[in-house]
Amino acid sequence: MGEPVKGTVTSLSSIFAPEDAQKASVHVQEVISERQKEVQQLQAFLNDNTSLVNLVKKLPDQLHHDIMVPFGKAAFFPGKLIHTNEFMVLLGEGYYAERTSKQTVEILKRRGQGLESQIESLNAVIKDLKFEASFFDETATEAAEGIVEIREDFVEEAFDEDKATTSGDDDFARILSRIDELEKEELESELAEEGEEKEEADEADIEPEFRNLEIKELLDIPVSKDSHIKVPTPSGSNTPVMPVDHNILKEGLSHAPMSRDEVEVSTLVSSSSNVSSKTRVAASSSSNASSKTSVPASGPSNASSKTSVAASMSKEVSNFGSRSSNDKAFTGSIVEHTHNIENSQKGQTSAPAPTPASKPVSRFKLQRK
Amino acid sequence: MDRLREEKIQKFEEFVDRRLKPDLVRAIAERDKVFEQQKVFSDLRKNLENLEKNSITSLRSMVNLGSEVYAQAEVPDTRHIFVDVGLGFHVELTWSEALKIIPAREERLARQIEEYTRLIAQIKAQIKMVSQGIRELLQLPEE
Repeated sequence: MGEPVKGTVTSLSSIFAPEDAQKASVHVQEVISERQKEVQQLQAFLNDNTSLVNLVKKLPDQLHHDIMVPFGKAAFFPGKLIHTNEFMVLLGEGYYAERTSKQTVEILKRRGQGLESQIESLNAVIKDLKFEASFFDETATEAAEGIVEIREDFVEEAFDEDKATTSGDDDFARILSRIDELEKEELESELAEEGEEKEEADEADIEPEFRNLEIKELLDIPVSKDSHIKVPTPSGSNTPVMPVDHNILKEGLSHAPMSRDEVEVSTLVSSSSNVSSKTRVAASSSSNASSKTSVPASGPSNASSKTSVAASMSKEVSNFGSRSSNDKAFTGSIVEHTHNIENSQKGQTSAPAPTPASKPVSRFKLQRK
Repeated sequence: MDRLREEKIQKFEEFVDRRLKPDLVRAIAERDKVFEQQKVFSDLRKNLENLEKNSITSLRSMVNLGSEVYAQAEVPDTRHIFVDVGLGFHVELTWSEALKIIPAREERLARQIEEYTRLIAQIKAQIKMVSQGIRELLQLPEE
């Protein structure tokens, strides 16, 4: 999660200018007030309707009512209301209906219901407008306060994906390391059975360092350019020409332990199911020479494996590094080591076919030639 | 100088739009109201004359109870009529008396209308003056 986060930081005031937000809010307020007026008007109609219903109900109580009959807009005649049970109701578009008091009341009630539904819908509209207005107000105040909106680009997701993959690699490396540890333990037990205490000790020593370095080196291991792995001379006096991927640890590697490292590494590597010449070397571990021969043989295969499995390579390198740093002398019998390696080799999933471990000496001879 | 002129022009335009034109609209609205009232009274007069001519003593009409619901009403005696004389007063009058005051009322309304017409004309003249001034200001820079 240490990757730089790309995003845009925009102040709310730039997106929603406070003045604009206020103007919008004012505008919405005006609309709200208009709607409210309409609601009031409708309410007035409704009230009139109710009072008219009452009037219409009362009129039939008397035969005649003394009233002032309007004559135009500015004059009245004193007169009487007759036929108090007969009413003329306007239905619209110049159509009238002559109805009795009860029927008129029903008509008026239906009209009232229509008005009520209209009022309700208008109220709902006003409610929505009020929400809008409050939103604008909030935006205006926020923009004025300088609240900032932070947006992250879609690229961010790509980063997240990368992180996921890298973390996946880490997990993969860790899983491999655990598998290696388990295999080492098995190897150790086998070695113990064989009576190779020293080897176990060495391997045991190697293992923790191997693990540590493995994880450390995992991301640092560059893809080896050189696929060729040169095996140090059996004497170990010659500086071993390590494969490119091993160049990292070149400095730390000493001649003597080199071969040992190779052997050790190969054993460990084989346990981790990495395709490596070292495993070959481990297989032929019984003698440095044999290990060396195995190394070049598996060199090309190692190269391919290197490019393919960075993790495995890192392990190998780490193994070498650990070994070189430890400078532990390998004094265990190689022959027995070979047997163990043979067993481990069979368990390997490396691509190159495991050379006949049973004849490390022969292999060595071939290699030397 | 141009900037000043432009500002002046803008001020004048604003004056026209904000003060004079609304004034004009209001004056016209008031005059229309008076027109209506005048019409009402003239209608009343005509009806009364009609009544008198035909000697109609009683009549039936439909009374609006509200919300366009009508009820039948009868006027047994049309001799007495209550006329609106302003300030919420209605005076009981006979036909002839009514026919006397109604024209007086009408005349008063006509005078009101005339006054409104004068006011409207004044506002229109002011608008014309200001626009002329703006035109002059605009023309001068061209020269």
